[in-house]
Parts: sequence; structure tokens; C-alpha cells
Amino acid sequence: MKRGAWLPALVLVLAGAGATLLAGANPLNAAVELLRGALGGPQPLAETLVQTASLLFPALAVAFALRAGFFNIGADGQAVAGGLAAGLAGAAWPGAGTAALLAALAAGTLAGGAWGALAGALRGRFGGSEVIATLMLNVLAGLLASYLLGGPLRAPGATGPETAALPESAWLPVLLPDSRLTLALPLALALAVALQFVLTRTVYGFELRAAGKAPEVARRAGVDLGSLAFGTLTLSGAIAGLGGATIVTGILHRFDPALSPGYGFIGIAVALVGGLEPLGVVLAAFAFAILQSGSLTMQAFAHVPKDVVALLEGLAILTLASRRALVARAPAR
Amino acid sequence: MNDAVAASASFAGLTAIKAAPLVLAALGGVLCERSGVVNVALEGQLAAGAFAAVAVAGATGNPLLGLVAGAFAGAALGLVLGVAATRFAADQIVAGMGLNVFALGACAFGVALVFGHPGASSEVPALGNAGEAALIVAALAAAAGLHALLYATPLGLRLRACGENPAAVRDAGLDPARLRALACAAGGALAGLGGVFLALAELDLYSDGMTAGRGFIALAAVIFGGWTPLGATAAAVAFGALSALQYLLQRSGIPSELMQALPYLAALAALAGLTGRARAPQADGLPETSRLD
Amino acid sequence: MEFALEVRDLVKTYAGGVRALDGVGLGVRRGEIHALCGENGAGKTTLAAIAAGRLRASGGSVERAGTAGFVPQHRQLVERMRAWENVVLGREPRRGARLDAAAARERVRALSAAYGLPVDPDARIETLDAGAQQRVEILRELAREPALLILDEPTAALAPAESAALFATLRALAARGVASLIVTHDLNDVAAHAERITVLRAGRVVARFEGGTDVRAIARAMVGGAVPALADRVPRATAPCFEIRGLVAGDGAGAVRGLDLDVRAGEIVGVAGVEGNGQRALADAVAGVLRYRGTQRLDGAELAPGDPAARIAAGIRTIPRDRQREGLVLDWSLSENLALGDQRRAPLRRGLGLDRRAARERARAVVERFDVRAPSLDARASALSGGNQQKLLAGRALAETPRLLLACEPTRGIDVGAAALLRSRLIEARNAGVAVLAISLDLDELFEIADRIVVLFRGAAAGEFARDAFERGALGAALAGLDAR
Repeated sequence: MKRGAWLPALVLVLAGAGATLLAGANPLNAAVELLRGALGGPQPLAETLVQTASLLFPALAVAFALRAGFFNIGADGQAVAGGLAAGLAGAAWPGAGTAALLAALAAGTLAGGAWGALAGALRGRFGGSEVIATLMLNVLAGLLASYLLGGPLRAPGATGPETAALPESAWLPVLLPDSRLTLALPLALALAVALQFVLTRTVYGFELRAAGKAPEVARRAGVDLGSLAFGTLTLSGAIAGLGGATIVTGILHRFDPALSPGYGFIGIAVALVGGLEPLGVVLAAFAFAILQSGSLTMQAFAHVPKDVVALLEGLAILTLASRRALVARAPAR
Repeated sequence: MNDAVAASASFAGLTAIKAAPLVLAALGGVLCERSGVVNVALEGQLAAGAFAAVAVAGATGNPLLGLVAGAFAGAALGLVLGVAATRFAADQIVAGMGLNVFALGACAFGVALVFGHPGASSEVPALGNAGEAALIVAALAAAAGLHALLYATPLGLRLRACGENPAAVRDAGLDPARLRALACAAGGALAGLGGVFLALAELDLYSDGMTAGRGFIALAAVIFGGWTPLGATAAAVAFGALSALQYLLQRSGIPSELMQALPYLAALAALAGLTGRARAPQADGLPETSRLD
Repeated sequence: MEFALEVRDLVKTYAGGVRALDGVGLGVRRGEIHALCGENGAGKTTLAAIAAGRLRASGGSVERAGTAGFVPQHRQLVERMRAWENVVLGREPRRGARLDAAAARERVRALSAAYGLPVDPDARIETLDAGAQQRVEILRELAREPALLILDEPTAALAPAESAALFATLRALAARGVASLIVTHDLNDVAAHAERITVLRAGRVVARFEGGTDVRAIARAMVGGAVPALADRVPRATAPCFEIRGLVAGDGAGAVRGLDLDVRAGEIVGVAGVEGNGQRALADAVAGVLRYRGTQRLDGAELAPGDPAARIAAGIRTIPRDRQREGLVLDWSLSENLALGDQRRAPLRRGLGLDRRAARERARAVVERFDVRAPSLDARASALSGGNQQKLLAGRALAETPRLLLACEPTRGIDVGAAALLRSRLIEARNAGVAVLAISLDLDELFEIADRIVVLFRGAAAGEFARDAFERGALGAALAGLDAR
């Protein structure tokens, strides 16, 4: 991944500089403001780490599925499903104590997994493209949440589609006082380590990687590709769902359908830049978090619209797509 | 009786308005995929077309120039996809998603830059009712035209061959990479026109997120319609009708989310094989090595 | 120009340093039928592709008196389209802006009649058998009025009668001044039809002959010295092991239609046949990746269709037909590749994890026993030559003595030395009691290693021959379906 990474990096730097010049600003100044906004002090750094955690869950979900040769574009929808379940479970859990928090996280993981499993079943059983399935399920998750919270599961006194506020016992513990940095980050890091272990040391990971590189070879070596599709997309969804649950329990303290604004797509960029290796994805998530959290400061002080970051993220995905076919994906219908 | 006629007419009219951008985007998708390039970037092409149209119409005061700019913007994105897929043998789905993220970000960036305030543009000179009707007719004409092109012309034969077996095309002395890039650019132009419709016909401005997933509905229409121009158009019109229906049924008891969900559920049903086994072009998504190495 | 094609000092080096051609000179006269012979890996296909303009040389020159048509070894047609669409692609007859389908069909009929190549313009390619598809492809090339027609292994997928028809066509073309360059390693064709013969070995021209030369001289030039001797066949008793009854699998032209077959422990059963008579469907059904009707039993226990994992567990191992697409993960190391197939069993599996040390041990043993030339155990499979990759796959299949070994085209496209080693290992496995089912298009190979040969024709058994009855004539007739019982 490092070898030959200079060309995409160059493209991104030039594009960033070009965009800031178009905005009538000074690229160096913009970069400085960006970094200042992201890293210039304990509070900004904490916020950047919060963003890192928020990006890490969908990115790990995407990377894990891609290693198996499946493209999960629906991490946002899975995060919504997970966040909804977490918000409902956390608000409704009787009694106090950390049980409510654990219930919320577990519910989020299961709900995200179920949402991923839908796409997994379509792919594993019918051979239907998981790209289309996860894309469609993305939208359906939002619609479902909107319907449920607008009607049957409407929280008392709510003005829009949101759940009741979570009691404090269901909040993720904060690591740094006066910041939003919670246990979500260590949780995400532990997850990355666990995924790395699964991929490299277990038989399941071996079969998964074989299927991702050469599905026909894997099939003849006894790997059940249908079960693998189902299992992997379910796990991928569960990871994204857990991410949604951490946003609900750690940042918002209630469910909001906009909890994952495009993180699923940015997660693709993060996964690719990280070379699909869990530990590389961690570093990439931090890099992208710098871009995200610094962009507001950059917009305010260097007068460059923050959307330039999205523009660069898209370019990152595009330039990294142009490396020898990422995965030898088994043809879906 | 008159009420029923009026209701039908308004339903038909609303369907046409909702379906037109979907038809144009779906046709763009069909053209691209038929040549062998998977196109998940329809959403970005719609957005780019819409934004370019609004920016140029606003700057020049001429909505027709805006129309041209919109088509051009979509074509440019299509060309990037085509070149990435052929010259760089990129993974087409990843590249398409990259283009989506890029285009949506670039449009948001552009709005903030050009109009000073982020989120939405100001109102610009639009195409009006006459222009709207003309574009609707153009969309249907494009469906017929694409059908004729693909199945009754030499160019269409070559494009379809590119989608099935690019090596055979190369053996015939043609350049499959160039044909694919051309198809992607032309397809992108159609999708861009869909965006022009959204911004300059149905409305008269651009706002972030106005495409609202239409590009993905169009993709669903391509699949549901079996990768053919007429099939995709029929599917797009059906989805447009659902959209219109949802609008008209707003005050009935049926939750609007259900109506909005129907196109996506239809696409999932198609994936589960419930609509029969239409086949994607055989070389769809596969790179062709056009270089003589 | 006296020559239709003249090639001088041709050099071709692939990425990775492999020198496929090392200073080759060749001339094909106008209206001549010229054979290019050599073993697998000699560089014939590379030379043909460069001569046809499909591949760029690294050095040297190519001169043609006109265009060269190319009929590659594996069909490059648009399968879902019709014959006429394939033939006119790139030179479509028009009426205004429209494609003139009627004129196109007429053009195909005219060409078909003129060259004696019966082709139905409206047939979809995917419904045609190998011979018919080849005729379409030849017609497509002839439509461009070439001065030279280059054919790469044209008879590999043809029955003897179709082969004869092909050469009749080539002679007719020669009479009209169209030269043919036939790349082949089938010396029987060469002996009967070629006017001049050029022999390649390891990327160089080692001999040139006139037509009518004794095939043995040509064969000697191709191999260039003594072929390594094979392992001895040990006479032994056999026992029932694997049986197939009433197998129906696959669809279209290459389907299996009711096959009965027995493979006993301690014997090699060779399945011979012209390509496209059901070999792939048979192999895939036995490997467990293709569903079928009928029964397959191993040691009396019936096997479930479509379950590769169960078959591996039962003791069936495969050397797949396509080493790069079905056998190896090219990006992976030798160790990891060798673990494929046995990853769920001890000793490679320990609890949930993969035992890396055991995997390396296995790799070391295979590399040694099968003489796999590789920089290290951690080298990527892609760094190995075709012969070494094939040896790796054979080693993997034989790493733990299987009950049944299915070998599909075990020596396809590899050099003579590797082929000899692999055949020896197959014989040794047979000596050790393994039941070996060898499917091969190379009749000579089966003559060398098999105890019995079963001929496959149109998906069913069309003759069985014991070793003492191995004779080209009788087998050739069975291959063409002339001796159906």
C-alpha cells in the first residue's frame, strides 16, 4: 500500500490546494487552520478522537466485508438501525446501572447485524448484488426509523423522529471531562485488534481472505461462499450497528436519524486508505478525522467551505480504486 | 366524473414530472452498463448536472446554456468513470462511489463558493413549463432513440459487444476502451440532463441533497428493467408513478414512508430473483486490457 | 513480396523477466501451409500473437504482405450474439445510419459457401459446438480478406473428421493465395498437411523441416534430448473405490449425459476425448462444485452433489484444470496456498486458529518431493512458473494420501521436465493404492500413465480400452464416436 501511494497523495494535495485557491484563500493558511482546528489543544484533539471513533466503526465494517470480497455500502443504514435499537433499548430499560448501557450496545449490535444480514441473505442465497442491496437498505433504514418514530414508537413530547432521551445510566462513560470523548474510542480500537486477529489467525479469517482474493479457488477448497456472504455481511452490519449505538449512547444521548451523515461512504475511503488492514484503518480514520474536525475551523478562519473535505474524500476513493483490482469479486447477478 | 378525469390528469402529469429525471438517469445507466461499465455514480451525475445548470443559468441568465452545462458536467463525470475503468482498470463500483462522494462534495463546495451562502443556491432563470414539457418529451424520445441505437445501428452492435466480450471487439480491430469511455460519457450526459430537469424544470434552484437518492432509484430501475432502454424506462416511470402516488395520498392513512420505500423494495425483490433472471451484460464490471502488452 | 509473413530476430520479454522468445526468425511464403511446432512453453502462442499483431514484441521486426487473421486457441466470440453479428463486427453493412441485418446475413452465407465452412448466420454462439464456433471465427477472419491466417492449436477441440475438414479449407485457401500458419503440437496433423515446419524450443528456432519429414525427427527436435523416464508401474491388485452411475450434469453442448464409471484403488483410469464432450462437467461434478443427477459413491458411501467440503473430508482431492483460476491464490505465499482445502482439519487446524508451523512443514515437504523451484516458502505463487505452480497443486493434492485423486489436464501448458515429474508422481500414487481419475486431452499422456482408458463422447462412455489395447486407430475412432457401443 505504501509503495506507489505518492501519486494519489499528490493528486489529493493538488486538488486541495486548487480548491482553496478557487475559494480565494491561501492553501497553506487553510492547511494550518485545519490542523489547528483538529489538533491545536486538548479539546480539539479530544474532538478529533471522537470523530476517529465515529469513522472507525463504519470503516472497519467496510474493510472487513471487502476482505471477503463483499462491498458493504450500507454502513449508514446499519448504523441507523443500530442507533435506533440502542436508543429504544436504553430508554426503555427498567432499573439503573450499567445494564442499561450494555443493553443499548447489545441491541445496537444485533440490530445492525440484522440489517446487514438482509443484504447477506440476498447475496448468499440468491446471488443478488450486495452493493445494490446495501444501498437500498440504507434508504429503507431511514424510512423505517422515520415511520416508527413518527407513529407507533413516538417518544412522548417529541417534536420529530427521535427517541426519548436516554437516562444517564445508559450513557457511555466519558474519558476526558468536558469533552465528548467516550469509551467509544477504546472500544473501536479493541475491535480493530480483534478483527486483525480473526483475519490472520483463525480458520474463518483464512477462508474469508481466500474468498476475497479468489472465490472460485476458495469454493473448490471447501469454502461455502453463500454462508460466508451471509455471515460476513451480518458481522459487518453488526460492527456498523455498534458504531451507531456508541453515537447514540455517547454523543447524542438519544436517537436521531441523522446520526451517521455519510460516514458509511467516508468509511469506504478510510477503509481503502487503510489498505483494508484493521490497524491501517485505525491510522486512516485518525487522518480523516483530522480533516473532518478541522474543517469547521478552516471554514471559519480561512474562509474555505468545509465541503472541500468531502470533495477530497471522493477523490481519495477514486484514486485508490485505480490500483489493481481490489478484490476478485465473485460475479453477482 | 370530471373530478376523476382531473385527478387522473394531475396524477399523469405528476408522474411525468417525477419520472423524467429517473428516466434520463436510468437511460444513462443503461448505456454505460451495456458497454460493460458498472455505473453506481448516477447520483453524483444528477447532482453535478443540477448544480452546473444552476450555476451557469445564474451566471449567464440563460437557462438553455444551463442545460448544456448540466449535460456537460454529467458527461465529464461519466468520462472519468470510463477512463478509470478502462485505462486504469479501476474497480468500477469503488470508482463510482468515489465519484458520488466527490460530486456531492464538489457541488456543496460550489454552492457555497458561487452563491455565497452554503446549503442552497439562489433562484435562477429556469426553463419554465414549456421547457419542462420539452424535457419530458425528450426523455421519452431518448428512450426510443437509445433502443434504436443499441439494436439497429453498427455503433450499437459494437457497444453491446464491448459489454459482452471486449476481447472480441479488439480482435475486430476496434478499440473497446474508447467505445466504453464514449458510452460512459454519453450516459453521463443523459444523467446530467436528469439533474438539469430537477434544478431548472421542476424547480429553479439547487440545494444540497436535492437529488435525494434518485440516482440509486434510477440504478434500481436499470436492474429491475433488465438493463434495456425500454425496460429501464418502464421501471423508472413506475417508480415515478409511485412517487406521484405518495404525494397524492399524503393525507390518507397510508404512511408516506411506505410509498417512498416501494422502489427500493422493488429493487430488492429483483435481486431476489422475483422478477425473473434478466442477465447483466457478460463483461459488465470486468476490466478489458486494451493495452498491447 | 514472396513472403506473406517475415519475422526477424524477434524477442519478447514479459514482466518479471521471462523471455518467451529469444531471437526468432521465420518466413511464411504466399499460399503456403506452414506449421509451427514445439512443446508447451516453447513460445509458439507468443510468436503467433505477435505475428498476428495482437501482441507487441520487445525487439526484432515483423513484416506482412497484407493483413493477418488470427484464430486463437480459445474462442473470442461474443457468445450471446448471433453468428452474423460476430462475423460483421467492425465492418457492418449499412443502410443509411441503420445496420443492414439482411445484408449481413447474406454476406455470411456467401462467405460460408465460398470457403466451404457451413455456418448458420442466425445461430447464437453459445448454442454451437466447438467445431461450429471455430468455423464462425475463421469466417470472421476471412471476411477481412487476409493474406495470412494464423491458427493457434486449431485441432485441439475438434474430432478427427472436423480436423480433416479444417485442413481441406486451409488447402482451398492456399490455392487462392492465402497462407496459413498453424501453431500446433499435434504431429499427426503436421505430417499430413504442412509444407514446411519450424520447430521452437525454449524461445528459439531449433530446426526447420520440409513437409513429409518423419514425425519422429520433428518430435526429437521439439523435446531436444532424452525425456526423463517415468516411474515404474508396479503390478498390483486393485480394489473397488469410486463409482459413478448414471451421471447427468451440466447443460448445453458439454454436458454429461448418463455416464457410468468405476475407478479402483491402485489404478489410473484415463478419460480421453475431444474437448467439449463433457470433461469439464464430469470433473466439476466429481469435485463437488457442479450439481448433478445420478450417484457417486466412494468406498460404498454415497456422496452428496455440490458439496466440495464433504468430498475433501471424504478423501477426494483434485488437481484443477485451470491452475490460476481454480487452484491458486496468486497473491498468497506457497505455505498459505498449500493449506487450502485442508484448513478445517488437523494438523493444520488447531481450535479456531490455523497452525502456521504445521502449514510451513507441509509446504517444506511438498516443495521437496515435487521439486518446486521457488525463491522461498514465503514467495508468492504468482512468482512461480506454470510448471512449478502445477507441481505445487499436485503436491497439495497428494500431501495426505487421498482415496481418490482427480487430475484434470495435469500437465497442460507446462514444460517437458515438469510434466514427466508429475506423471511419475501420479504413477507412484497409483502404486501406493490411490484411485486416480485422469482427464486429459493428450492421448499420448494417457497412453503413458493409464491402466485403462475410457473415451468420452457427447457426455457418455463410448468405449473402454485396457492397456494392452492402447492403439491410436481404435481410440481415434472412439473419440469421433464411430465406435459407439
